[in-house]
Amino acid sequence: MSTTSTVSDLVSKPYQYGFVTDIETEKIDKGLSEDVVRLISAKKNEPAFLLAFRLKAFRQWLRMEEPQWAAVNHPEIDYQNIIYYAAPKQQEKKASLDEVDPKLLETFEKLGIPLSEQKRLSNVAVDAVFDSVSIATTYREKLAEHGVVFCSISEAVKDHPELIERYLGSVVPASDNYFTALNSAVFSDGSFVFIPKGVECPMELSTYFRINSGDTGQFERTLIIAEEGASVSYLEGCTAPMFDTNQLHAAVVELVALDDASIKYSTVQNWYAGDESGKGGIYNFVTKRGHCRGDRSKISWTQVETGSAITWKYPSCVLQGADSVGEFYSVALTNNRQQADTGTKMIHVGPRTRSTIVSKGISAGHSSNSYRGLVQIGPKAVGAKNYSQCDSMLIGDQAAANTYPYIRSQQPESTVEHEASTCRISADQLFYLQSRGIGFEEAVSMMVSGFCRDVFNQLPMEFAAEADKLLALKLEGSVG
Amino acid sequence: MVVSSRLADRAVNDAWARRLLSHLPVPSGELEAVQVRGREALIRQSLPSRRQEDWRFTDLTPLKALDPLSLNPLTAAVGSSLPSAGWPAPAPGSLRLWLDGRSDPLAGQTLPPGLSRLSSDDLHQALGRSLAGCDCEQHWPVELNQATVSHCLALRVSGVIAETLELVCVADAQHTLRPVRVLLLLEEKASLEVLQVQLGSGASLSSLVVEAQLGRQAHLLHGLLALGEAEACFLGHLAVEQASESRFRSVMASRGWALSRFEPRITQRDGAAHTELKALQLAERDQLADTHSQVRFLGPDGALEQLHKAIAADQGHSVFNGAVAVPRQAQRTNANQLSRNLLLSDQARIDTKPQLEIVADDVRCTHGATVSRLQADQLFYLQSRGIDAATASRLLRRGFCQEVLRDFPAAAAVWNPLQRLMVEA
Amino acid sequence: MIRPDADLLLDIVDLHATVADQPILKGVNLSIRAGEIHAVMGRNGSGKSTLSKVLAGHPAYSVTAGSVRYRGSDLLDLDPEQRARIGLFLGFQYPVEIPGVSNLEFLRVATNARRGELGKEELDTFAFEDVVRDRLKVVQMDAAFLERSVNEGFSGGEKKRNEILQMALLEPVVAILDETDSGLDIDALRIVAGGVNQLATPDNATLLITHYQRLLDVITPDFVHVMAAGRILRTGGKELALELEERGYDWVDQELAVLEVA
Repeated sequence: MSTTSTVSDLVSKPYQYGFVTDIETEKIDKGLSEDVVRLISAKKNEPAFLLAFRLKAFRQWLRMEEPQWAAVNHPEIDYQNIIYYAAPKQQEKKASLDEVDPKLLETFEKLGIPLSEQKRLSNVAVDAVFDSVSIATTYREKLAEHGVVFCSISEAVKDHPELIERYLGSVVPASDNYFTALNSAVFSDGSFVFIPKGVECPMELSTYFRINSGDTGQFERTLIIAEEGASVSYLEGCTAPMFDTNQLHAAVVELVALDDASIKYSTVQNWYAGDESGKGGIYNFVTKRGHCRGDRSKISWTQVETGSAITWKYPSCVLQGADSVGEFYSVALTNNRQQADTGTKMIHVGPRTRSTIVSKGISAGHSSNSYRGLVQIGPKAVGAKNYSQCDSMLIGDQAAANTYPYIRSQQPESTVEHEASTCRISADQLFYLQSRGIGFEEAVSMMVSGFCRDVFNQLPMEFAAEADKLLALKLEGSVG
Repeated sequence: MVVSSRLADRAVNDAWARRLLSHLPVPSGELEAVQVRGREALIRQSLPSRRQEDWRFTDLTPLKALDPLSLNPLTAAVGSSLPSAGWPAPAPGSLRLWLDGRSDPLAGQTLPPGLSRLSSDDLHQALGRSLAGCDCEQHWPVELNQATVSHCLALRVSGVIAETLELVCVADAQHTLRPVRVLLLLEEKASLEVLQVQLGSGASLSSLVVEAQLGRQAHLLHGLLALGEAEACFLGHLAVEQASESRFRSVMASRGWALSRFEPRITQRDGAAHTELKALQLAERDQLADTHSQVRFLGPDGALEQLHKAIAADQGHSVFNGAVAVPRQAQRTNANQLSRNLLLSDQARIDTKPQLEIVADDVRCTHGATVSRLQADQLFYLQSRGIDAATASRLLRRGFCQEVLRDFPAAAAVWNPLQRLMVEA
Repeated sequence: MIRPDADLLLDIVDLHATVADQPILKGVNLSIRAGEIHAVMGRNGSGKSTLSKVLAGHPAYSVTAGSVRYRGSDLLDLDPEQRARIGLFLGFQYPVEIPGVSNLEFLRVATNARRGELGKEELDTFAFEDVVRDRLKVVQMDAAFLERSVNEGFSGGEKKRNEILQMALLEPVVAILDETDSGLDIDALRIVAGGVNQLATPDNATLLITHYQRLLDVITPDFVHVMAAGRILRTGGKELALELEERGYDWVDQELAVLEVA
C-alpha cells in the first residue's frame, strides 16, 4: 500500500453542489460596453451618483491591464463573451418568503441553507443571492429592532443612498486594480450591513452566493459598516454548478470599522473547482479590504478556501486608527489542477497597531498553492507589532507550495516576526494512528484538521464544525 | 501618462549603457568573445528598472549618478602598484593576489601545490558554465562585467589547500570601473578557502563575478568583505554549482556603498550537498544594501542553512530577497532560512522577502524573518548589570554582527572586519 | 503464567517477510497463549523489530510466505486499524510526533474505535476524561500531557509512558512492546515495567522485544526466544535470557553456522 497514492485518492471527492436549478432566467446579451453598464444601472433604478460611479470605473477599466504577477496561469479571458446580468424571472423581491419561487427555496435547502420560517437557522440571518440578485433575507425585522440594517446592496441603494454614497468605494477605490474597476462598473448585487453606534449585532449575519447560469459572470459587492463601538460577525458561503467552461467571479468586499468597532468576516468558499483535468471551475478574482478607520477598531478575516479553479484573493486590513487590530486566518486547500494565490496585506499606518497572520496551505494533486503576503509598517506606526505564521502541507509530490511573504518596515519602534514551515502527512504518522485503531480516512482527516486548528478556532461556532466537515468531505473518498 | 513616464525611464536607462559602451576600447585580448557578448547584451537590455520584480525595491539612482562617459575600466590599479601602501600585511599562511580585472595577478607568483592556473582551452570551456547553471548569465550586472572585463583569474584546485587565497580589489580612483572575474574549479575532495576583499571609494563602480564548480566532496569557503565609501557602487554575482556531498560556505559582509547589490546563486546539481550562506549588510546614511540570493536543489537530500542579517540606520534601505527552489526531484531537502533585521532609525527602511517554491512533499523547509530594533529586554538586562545604555547597545550590535563575522576565513582578521563594521559612521 | 489449556491467541507459522525486496524474516514460528509473557531477544538486525511491524501491519513490509492466526482467524488480511481494534497492540520503539493533533482527542478516538469493536458504547468527552485520568496513574503521567500534541516535544521517557498509557486505555489482548526499555533511565523503566505488569491478566498476553536483560529483571517472561537471521533459533525459559547475558550472542553465531550448513 503506497501511502501517498492513497492519500491522493482521498482528496478526490466529487463536488456535491454541482447541480443546476432549472429556472427561467432573465439575462442580458453577452458583452460589456458603456450601454451595458447603463442598462444594469437602469434595471436597478439607481440614482445618478451610482451610474456616474459605474461609468467612471468602466472608463478606468478600459485603460487597465489584467494583472500578471500572481503565480497562476489561465487562458485569456474574453470579457465580451460573458453575460453581466442574470436574474431569476421574478422581478420584485417578495415581501414574504412564501411568494419566492419554491424552486429557489428548494435550491438553497439542497445547499444546506433552509430559508423558510420553520427550518431556518435559529441564530443566523441569511441573505441568499442567486446569480445576480438577492432573493431573500431572513430576520430583517428582528435585526431592525436593534437598528441593524442587513439587506441586499440594491435595496440599500434605494433605502440608504446616503450611506452608499459615503462609503461605497471608500475602502477599495474602483481604480485599485483591474478586477475592482470591472466590478465597480457592473456589480449586480451583494450584501449591505450597517451596525449603528454602540450596537452589538444580536445574531450572526450570513450571505450565501449561488452561481447558477453557465455563462454569467458574478460581480457581487459587499459593504459592511460598523459605527463607533459596534460589532458584528459575518459569514459568506458560496457554491456553483459544474460546467465545463470557466465562470468569472470578481467580487469586491469593503469593511469600515470606526472607533472601538469590530468586524469579524468569515468565508467558507466552495465554488466549483473544475474537474480532475482542470476543465471548468470558477475564476475567483476577489478584492477584500477592511479599513480600521477608528482607534481601537478591529477587523478579522477568516477564510476557508476549498473551491474555485483559480483563487486570487488577498483580504487585507488598513490599520489606520491608533491601537487598531487586523487579523487574517486562512486555510486554503487545493487539489487536482486548482491554483490558489492568496494571502493578505496588513498595512500598519497608525501607532500601536497590531496584526496577526496565520495561513495554512494544503496542496494535493497537481495543484499550486501560493501564499503571498505583505506586512508594511509605515513611518508613523510607532509600537506596531506583527506576527505571521504560514505553514504548508504537501500531499503527493506533484503539488506546489510557494511562499512569498513581503515585509517592509520603516518604523524602528516596531516588531515584525514571520515564521514558516513545510510538512507532509508521513507514512509513519499514518501508520501510528492506524495501529491505534483509527481508520485511514479518519487519520488523514485528523491530521489535516490538526494542521488547520488555529484557523478553525477562529470561525464562528456555528460554522467551525461545518468547515471541518467540508474539509473532511474534500478528503473523503474510496480508500485504495 | 503612465506609458509616457515608462518610456522616458527607459530612454534614460538605455542612454546610460550606450554612453558607457561608446567610449570602451574595441574588444580584444583573451576575453574578447566575452566582451562582445556582454556589450551586445547591454545594447539589447536596458538598465534594470523597478518595474521588474527582481528590482522592485532597488533604486539604481546611485549607479545612474556615476557618469558613464567617464567610467573607465582601464585605469591601472592603485593597489597593485603600491602593495605596501597602508594595506595590512597578509595573514601568515595566506596568499594575496591583487585583482584589477585587467592584468594577470599570477604574474611572478608561485602557487602552492594543488592550485594551478587553468589552461586557455579549459578556461574558455568552463567560463560561463556556472552562470548558465545558476540561470543568471543574462543578468544585467553580469553582462556589465562581461562587457568590460579583460582578465579572469581562473584556477584549478586539486587538493586540500592549506593557504587561504586572498583576492584584493581596490577601486579608489574617481571614475574607476573595476570589473573582476574569477573562476574556480574544485576537483573531487579539493578544499579551498578564499577571502575576497572589495574596497571602493569615490565615484567608482566595482563589479564582481565569481564562478565556482565544486566536485564531489569538495569544500569551498568563500568570504567576501565588501567595504565602500561615498558614491562607490558594488555589483556582485556569485554563481556556484555543487556536485553531491560537496560543501559550499559563503560569508559576506558589506558596508559603506552608496549602492551594493550582491547575488549569490547556488545550484546543487544532484542535491545531497551542503550549502551555507551567511551575510551581514549595513545600510546607513542614504545607502542601499541589497542581497538577492537563490538556491536551487536539483536532486534529493540537499541541505541549506541561510542566515541573512541587515542593519538599517539613518536613511539607509536594506533589501533581502531569498529564493529557495525545491522541485519534485529534491525529496528530503532540508532548507532553513532566517532573515534578521535591525531597524535603527525611523527614516531607515527594511524590505525582506523570503521566497519558497516547493514541489516535493518529503521536505523540511523553514524560513523566518524578524524586523525590530535592539531588544529592549536584552538592553535592560545588560543595563541592570551596570552597563550604560550606549555600551549595552554597542555590545548587542557587536553580537549581532559577530554571528556572521566569526565564520570568515581566519585570514580576514588582518582587515579588522568587526572594527570596520562597528565603528561609528 | 503458563496453562497449556489456555486459549491460543497468536500463532505464527513459518513467517517470511521482506522490506524493499530484502528478505528479513525467514521462517518465524511462535505460539502465544493467554496469560503468557514472551520475550524475543536478539542482536540489531536479527529481525525482531521487523516481526513486530509485520504483526501490526506496517505497509512497508510484505509477507512473502507463512501465516499468522490471531485467535483462530487470519491476521495478515487485516488493515492496521482493524488489527488494533480487535486487540493487537504495538508499543513503538520510536513513537512519531504528530503536531497539531491533540493527544487527548487522539486517545479518545482510538479508545472509542476499540470500544466499538467490543460492543461497548462510545465515551463522550467528559466520560473519557474520567477514564483517562484514572489510567494516567498507571504510568504516573501528568494530565498536562493530554493537552499537548501527540508525542510532540515529549522526552524519550514521556513518549514510552504515553505508549503504555495507550495500552492501558485500549486493553489489548496481545501487546507487543518493541524495545520499550530503550532510552529509559532506571526510574522510567520501573514505571513502564510497573505499568506492563499491572496490565497483564490471565486473559491477555505480552510479547516483549528487547535487546537487554534489564527489562526482564523487572518483567519476568515465561518464555524467552532468541532470534537471529530472521528466525527463532532457540526457545527456553527465563534462564535463557540469563545465559545470553552471561555468554553474549557469540554462541548464536556458531549455532547459526551449524544451521546454515545443515
